[in-house]
Amino acid sequence: MKKLLIIIPIMMFVLISGESLETGGKIPDLKLKLLDGKKTSIHALLEDGPLLIDFWATWCKPCKKVMKHLDKYHNKYEENGFKVLMVNQDTPRSVGKVKSYIRSQKYSFYVGLDPNQKIAKKLNGLIMPTLILIDTDGTILWRHQGYMPGEEAEIESKIQSAIGLSTDK
Amino acid sequence: MSKPLLLFISFFITCLFAEDLSYNAAITSKFGDNYNFYTYTENRFDLNIFYKDFQSWIQYEYSNPPDIGFPINDIRKFRIEYGHDNYTVKLGDIYEFWGRGLVLNQIDDQTTNFDNGIRGMFLGYQNGLFSFNHINGNSNIWNFGNDLRIPEYKNSHNVSANQILFDLNSVSLGLSHLSSKENHEFSNLNYLRDSTFVFHNMKGIYGSLILDNVDLFVEYVDKVSTEKNNLYSDGPLDSLKSGHGVYLNFNMYGGNWGLSTEYKRYAFDKGHSSFTPDDYGNRIAFQAMPTLVREQNATLLGRVAHQFNFNDERGVQVSLTGSILNLDVISQYAHLSRNEEWQSLTLMDWVDTAIDGYLPGSSTSALPYWENYFEISGSQLNDNLYFKLGRGQNRDILEIIRYFKGEQQDRIINSFWEYDTTIVDFYGEMYTIIDSAEYLDTSFTDLYSVETKIWQESKSITYPLELSYLFNNGYSVSINFEYQEKQLKNVSKGNSRSYNELDSLWVLIDPENPDSNFNQYDNLFSDGSKNYDIQFNRMFSLTIGKASKWSATLTHDQTNAFSGPTTVDPYYNPLEALIFGDLKYFTGKRNKVDPPDFIQKRWVSLELAYNLTSSQRISILYGSLQGGLFCSNGVCRTIAPFNDGIKLSYSAIF
Repeated sequence: MKKLLIIIPIMMFVLISGESLETGGKIPDLKLKLLDGKKTSIHALLEDGPLLIDFWATWCKPCKKVMKHLDKYHNKYEENGFKVLMVNQDTPRSVGKVKSYIRSQKYSFYVGLDPNQKIAKKLNGLIMPTLILIDTDGTILWRHQGYMPGEEAEIESKIQSAIGLSTDK
Repeated sequence: MSKPLLLFISFFITCLFAEDLSYNAAITSKFGDNYNFYTYTENRFDLNIFYKDFQSWIQYEYSNPPDIGFPINDIRKFRIEYGHDNYTVKLGDIYEFWGRGLVLNQIDDQTTNFDNGIRGMFLGYQNGLFSFNHINGNSNIWNFGNDLRIPEYKNSHNVSANQILFDLNSVSLGLSHLSSKENHEFSNLNYLRDSTFVFHNMKGIYGSLILDNVDLFVEYVDKVSTEKNNLYSDGPLDSLKSGHGVYLNFNMYGGNWGLSTEYKRYAFDKGHSSFTPDDYGNRIAFQAMPTLVREQNATLLGRVAHQFNFNDERGVQVSLTGSILNLDVISQYAHLSRNEEWQSLTLMDWVDTAIDGYLPGSSTSALPYWENYFEISGSQLNDNLYFKLGRGQNRDILEIIRYFKGEQQDRIINSFWEYDTTIVDFYGEMYTIIDSAEYLDTSFTDLYSVETKIWQESKSITYPLELSYLFNNGYSVSINFEYQEKQLKNVSKGNSRSYNELDSLWVLIDPENPDSNFNQYDNLFSDGSKNYDIQFNRMFSLTIGKASKWSATLTHDQTNAFSGPTTVDPYYNPLEALIFGDLKYFTGKRNKVDPPDFIQKRWVSLELAYNLTSSQRISILYGSLQGGLFCSNGVCRTIAPFNDGIKLSYSAIF
């Protein structure tokens, strides 16, 4: 009961202090290894512009469906400094097939490896797909869980808003 | 209140009013209740706080009871991390992943209730291309027994682990070491809870090379365990087990095609049957290694998953992924087996012979497993229509109950006694025996061949199909259909069915004609009244959704027979009546607790999901779900059926 009394005020604080559940807060500077072996960090990827992080795995059906659209947006808005970072959560069971899948689809977005979900746990990306759109200054602009066909329009609208191509904030 | 909790709260309150503070949180709530009193309530709250060089994580859980596991109303997990310059310190629940997990791969998977996290500390130091990591702490890992929901056996580990890593982008090399003092619980021969102390020591090495069109990963681990056996209180009588594991992954890429090849050889122990908590083998739960079968995302394919044996298994897997004519293609083949072929000399005594070479064996006595999967998918009509068609096939030797093929010779025991006739004992009635001998007389029969084999095997072929169409107004329709044919049988063959313990010989079914053989197949699928050669499974689901807002999914799962006890639907619910168009139900002419036959062997459910916001989702499911095998991260568990109930779930991230 004592512990419950501690947790409830924390939850209340978090709920009340946030402008809304989808936005607000700063992204921490987490390090990760990319598919090509190079190391980077979230803040390094934010240097040129907004970043959209998506958590996925090769066995996740809706993840694969949304990836096609995210790669399209990565290429379409690259000139605006926008990037997509796909954080892969395949375990040792299937991590060997990640690069094959990415190469077969000719995807050009960034792919980070997170085989024991260190990053996913820190950013609450355990439900796949989870999208987090981050502004250049590290502010979280939008969070989204799951994917249903048709949601790509909303995703693009949020990206356009982040890079200043629309007034929808 | 525990010291770690006080430390965390102090840190949290200090940070709460700081400007550089950032945080995120997640809430997951689940509730389920069904006709079989299968009730659960799970609530978890995750909070991550980031403040300058500090990071912290706390997970509070109130579950009474959870879907699987123990009831809890407490801080379930916590961790405080500090990273500055070259140093990293973590205190609390540690989850690390080294190489591909042959030494250490820590997972907290609540869907299978598998958690091999260590509560303790992590120290990390990085200097240029080199880094050194150290872990020390304790871990309680639970195993399931007969109960499908509550674990029974606790393995307590006191762990110390070290890693030295050289990492130069495309080249990395790691050395790892892990030692653990384990208190391993099991049930003894009297079915009472017992435990034994085991000391484990592992040394591993791994390396990877990543080039543009090729990449390679290799890992090797050597393991020794010593079990303290204090039977009869005569001091320790240690037994030693040693073994090794190898994993290799070689990938090639060309154009938009990728070829992935994997090889494994896990030889930590050996056995012709499954390793249970009572017969646990040498590998420990920190070793969550690659399995080398496809991680399926179709429900029916998931139910025929191979049950891995990390103590004793070798295998190869080849996977080709690519695209042609705007179609995505996946083709995969895997072949696994034990490292030995087994022969039963008697009903109880088994001997093994190592399989030659490095590849898996195909002999039934090596318990082989084969699977292949082919999938084609693509989009048409301006990407509005998506389709996927797959074909999965597997064959699994699940168990060898008896396996002997060889020669034997009938024999009798002749006895010889020599008497001293000069002395008469017992008042002249007997002579004293001064020598005796016994010998086997095989002179009256030749060697003859004997074959006696019994094994259990399963075969299945599955076709998953998916079609979805997105309308321009944001509505979408998806149809998923899976069809499966599965066989499960005991196969007996040979010219002998039994063993004579007195003569130590296999008994021929027709001694006059040793060449008379039999083949017998006992089908293990039954509906309670008769056995079936093939189990037919069909799963159909229809989803209608409106982008960003809601979706509704109706699922119909059907079979014709069971491999275990026949499952009887105890209650007739209105959704079943609606789906089957049974007007009698709605006019009160049906007895709800005595359902009609046509709803048996079917599971119908309706799930409604609604996005309250883009980061908050609520769903409600009503109906029945068929249980069965569920595997995740190489850990498999049997899910209990969910009959005529309701499930609610809510998730939010912020």
